[in-house]
Amino acid sequence: MALLETRRLSKSFGGLRAIHDLDIDVEAGTIHGLIGPNGSGKSTFFNLVSGVYPPDPGSSITFAGTDVTKSPPHAIAKLGMARTFQLLRLFSEMTVLQNVMVGYHTHVPYSLLGTLVNSPRTRRIDARITEEMSELLEIIGLAEYADMPAAELSGGQRRLLALGRAMATRPKLLMLDEPAAGLSPVNVDNLLSIVMALKDRYGLTLLIVEHILKVVMDTCDRVTVLDHGEKIGEGSPTEVKDDPAVVEAYLGQEMDDEEVRQAMQA
Amino acid sequence: MNLLLAPFRGLVDFFQALARIHRIVPWLVAYVFLLPLPEILSATGNDYYIYLTNRILIFILLSVGLNIVKGFCGQVTVGHIGLYAIGAVTSSLLAINYGWPFWAAMPAAVVVTGLAGIIIGLPSVRLEGAYLALATLGLGESVRIMIAVTPALGSSTGIMLIPPPQVGSFVFDDFQKYYYLVMTAAMIGIYLSFSILRSATGRAFMAIREDVIAASVHGINVPANKLLAFVISALYAGAAGALFAHMPPGFIHHNNFTIIEMVTLLLMVVMGGIGHIWGGVIGAIIVYIIYDNTLEFYHIQPLTFGLIMVLLVVFMPQGIGGVIDRYLVTKRFVKLREEKSDGAA
Amino acid sequence: MTTTTKGITALLAAGLVTGLAATALAGEIRIGVTMRMVSENGQKYGQMVVDEFDMINKAGGINGHTLDVTLLNDECKSDKGVANANKLIFQEKIHLLVGSTCSSVSLPIVDVTAKTKVPQIIPHSTNEKITQKGSAWVFRVPVSGRYYAGVNAKYVGENIGKKIAYLCAADAASQNDCEAMQAQMKSQFGAEAAYVAQVQEKEVDFRTHMQKIKSAGVDGIMIAALAETMARALVQSYEAGIPASVNRIGSSSASNSPVPAIAGDAAKGVFFTAAYAAADDRPIARLFNEMVRQRYGIHAPDHDFSQAYDLVRIVEIALGNADLKLDSANLAADRTAIRDAIANVKGYQGLASGPISFCAEATPQCRDGNRTAVLIAYTKGGKDYVTEVLARVTMPVDFGLK
Ligand SMILES: Nc1ncnc2c1ncn2[C@@H]1O[C@H](COP(=O)(O)OP(=O)(O)O)[C@@H](O)[C@H]1O
Ligand SMILES: [Mg+2]
Repeated sequence: MALLETRRLSKSFGGLRAIHDLDIDVEAGTIHGLIGPNGSGKSTFFNLVSGVYPPDPGSSITFAGTDVTKSPPHAIAKLGMARTFQLLRLFSEMTVLQNVMVGYHTHVPYSLLGTLVNSPRTRRIDARITEEMSELLEIIGLAEYADMPAAELSGGQRRLLALGRAMATRPKLLMLDEPAAGLSPVNVDNLLSIVMALKDRYGLTLLIVEHILKVVMDTCDRVTVLDHGEKIGEGSPTEVKDDPAVVEAYLGQEMDDEEVRQAMQA
Repeated sequence: MNLLLAPFRGLVDFFQALARIHRIVPWLVAYVFLLPLPEILSATGNDYYIYLTNRILIFILLSVGLNIVKGFCGQVTVGHIGLYAIGAVTSSLLAINYGWPFWAAMPAAVVVTGLAGIIIGLPSVRLEGAYLALATLGLGESVRIMIAVTPALGSSTGIMLIPPPQVGSFVFDDFQKYYYLVMTAAMIGIYLSFSILRSATGRAFMAIREDVIAASVHGINVPANKLLAFVISALYAGAAGALFAHMPPGFIHHNNFTIIEMVTLLLMVVMGGIGHIWGGVIGAIIVYIIYDNTLEFYHIQPLTFGLIMVLLVVFMPQGIGGVIDRYLVTKRFVKLREEKSDGAA
Repeated sequence: MTTTTKGITALLAAGLVTGLAATALAGEIRIGVTMRMVSENGQKYGQMVVDEFDMINKAGGINGHTLDVTLLNDECKSDKGVANANKLIFQEKIHLLVGSTCSSVSLPIVDVTAKTKVPQIIPHSTNEKITQKGSAWVFRVPVSGRYYAGVNAKYVGENIGKKIAYLCAADAASQNDCEAMQAQMKSQFGAEAAYVAQVQEKEVDFRTHMQKIKSAGVDGIMIAALAETMARALVQSYEAGIPASVNRIGSSSASNSPVPAIAGDAAKGVFFTAAYAAADDRPIARLFNEMVRQRYGIHAPDHDFSQAYDLVRIVEIALGNADLKLDSANLAADRTAIRDAIANVKGYQGLASGPISFCAEATPQCRDGNRTAVLIAYTKGGKDYVTEVLARVTMPVDFGLK
């Protein structure tokens, strides 16, 4: 059984069918790519499976063997799903360290009452969490900025922080929504190597939405292609690249992203 | 700014050293420092300062509580003053009608107010921003109106002869004695707010304020935590209400709890720094002192306060606490950047 | 963490930053005033108090002493009133407190002045409990609520008759007025109600009630209702053919201007109670009306103004008779001397409808100095209504006490 399974997943906004009857399986331990033209429903798919939007009736989402179709986001997160946002949605006024500590929220083993009396146990745990989180910051290269408000970081650092915050939830499945958007090639490579290091270290399953085709082609085991909310192709990166339906969808589209078209034509 | 903060340096280092022994040590030391305050104030020949301090300490409790729900959790509530009223009325009635001593009436009032906090907080599950403000305003005002029309709750005359707290034959019936009570309560309140806000719960509140969706996908139960913030802030309001009610001359009236008082409270939180851990404290002190010193200019006072509020929101949205923080952060950030470029060179 | 400690020090510094200690000048009589300075009228009669004290200063002060007046606004809120009183007493070190204009503010301040032993004189608060707390330091210039409660009944029983019908509207104030009047008629004259009609919330047609009242052959009808309902009932009472010889008695809302405006001719003869009538034709009242009109642009001053004015005159008399040292060593003695001097004011004749007298005991009998209310009647209805003083009613000293 796949780690994440959707069946007949649908979502309409008013008259617009953003996702329609979508069946996707993300196998544990794989890197799964999700591509498609702008507006094809990739981010909506993330929002549906992570519980941010309720799916339309008839849909079903199963994660780690649990039906999460109607679960709230925090319950799904607890089961081990983490995600980033295309627009990051960092906690800007909070420090870098606090951002990742929020990610760790569900694993904090003390209660509010424990904090109030400030028991030695609470203090021990707090120290341990801070240490663990500092380690994580070390991996993503933001340890020095631990006490800075997130708003003060540069664009590239913010993307790393979003990744770190999601990792702090200790997920089984990590879903990245255009993690490399707007990064310089050097930084894209840096980010990818960090993602791969995290995957190996924590045995992650990855679901990646990315416009930078190089990222998808180089890293993914399997790719699903969306267009107008429907699956128009699926397979290994090479299979997908040669699929006439996929090429058609991309070429028929007025693309913002020059790189995507070139990659598809190649 | 450097010059302004310089005198604090030594003190800061001192308290930081104390904190290394145990988190609570600086608080105990500060408490001991604050104990002789009435004597010091009295030496100026003006005992009104002690009364003023007591009033401020009650407002500190109120605004520290409000800062938790508004400043930290980002929930725009205008119902806080209604909770303050519930605390005051509950404790008064328990003391007068059932003869409960303050020490039982106050905790009971705190619990009742905490429960009322759930009701005031319920709209936050569905509403945000201006709509939430309107809903909580309605709830807060209905508390006041309920008091105003119910004879058993004081109606238009108010509740009088609320007994002062008492331990054996020691009655907290003058400024100085009451100071020990409210100062202790305020210190405990501030200390607890620190504990809460620096815990996972505090981080959850802030995350909700910053981005509800991001908070929820990172495992935070948003509705539950919003309600928790409302309840915690209500506990503060309940305690403040009871302390206000039992303070001699022990009189409360529904018009102590109007929208004007609510706006004053908001001004305290905004001025001190919304979401700044000291915001409620700084704001309560500064706003009340300004208020007290402009009493004689009553004809322009509401206008002045309105103007300050608008100017603050426009020019200093982070409040005084925010300005200090900003200054410190920028300084450190600049330093860090400089070090980095040094290293690179 | 650095901010942690800064906050604590800020708290420490708080009291010290508040300002300099008040510089109390020897030789001055310090008077603190706390009033509801909110509405336009409120600000004006507050200003009048200050202006009147000022004029005393311009005329050479009292026994050579100047009056130093500090006026604070309590917004008619008890917490602010108490804070004001404490500030005036402990910071300004006043000799005398004037205030407040609201019962709910005067009430807690009575406890403050009793404890600090500062004389307090009240310009406008009717709640009877104010003088029943047993404070030796409080004096009330306006008419106490306990006197007002019986004024209507006393006048009606003595001048109109004892056979009265009642039409009582459902709102709380009207129910209260209606019941109080019946109780007073019974306790003062042993008179039972001749007929009682309870009117529902939305009821607008009172003709059946009026027919029954007509056939009951009563001396008077009390209409206890809010302004518009009262006006409607008044009109219908004439339509039902109840003759003008049967007096129409209004409840407290009869003083509201919609009553004569809507009822028109039917308002004629309806009366209400107050401590002062602008229609008063005594020379002192006409001069006062003129003064208020010129200085503050108020066309017909109500008893808020007259009581504030009387208060200043009473304070002037008392301070003139008090032997004051006016140095810091004698603050307590001077406060006591002023209290005793106010208690010695007897038979003051001013704007109030009757004499005002105080005495030494800490009882309502001694401290509710003003026992005379005035009954004001409409002599012409409509928007340009005209009123006259119908009667002055002085209540016995013990009236309304258990
Ligand atoms: N909250 C929303 N309300 C209305 N329409 C939406 C919403 N979110 C997404 N859409 C629409 O759904 C379609 C898919 O959007 P999205 O999932 O963001 O595409 P992608 O991420 O593939 O670029 C778009 O037409 C978009 O305008
Ligand atoms: Mg997208």
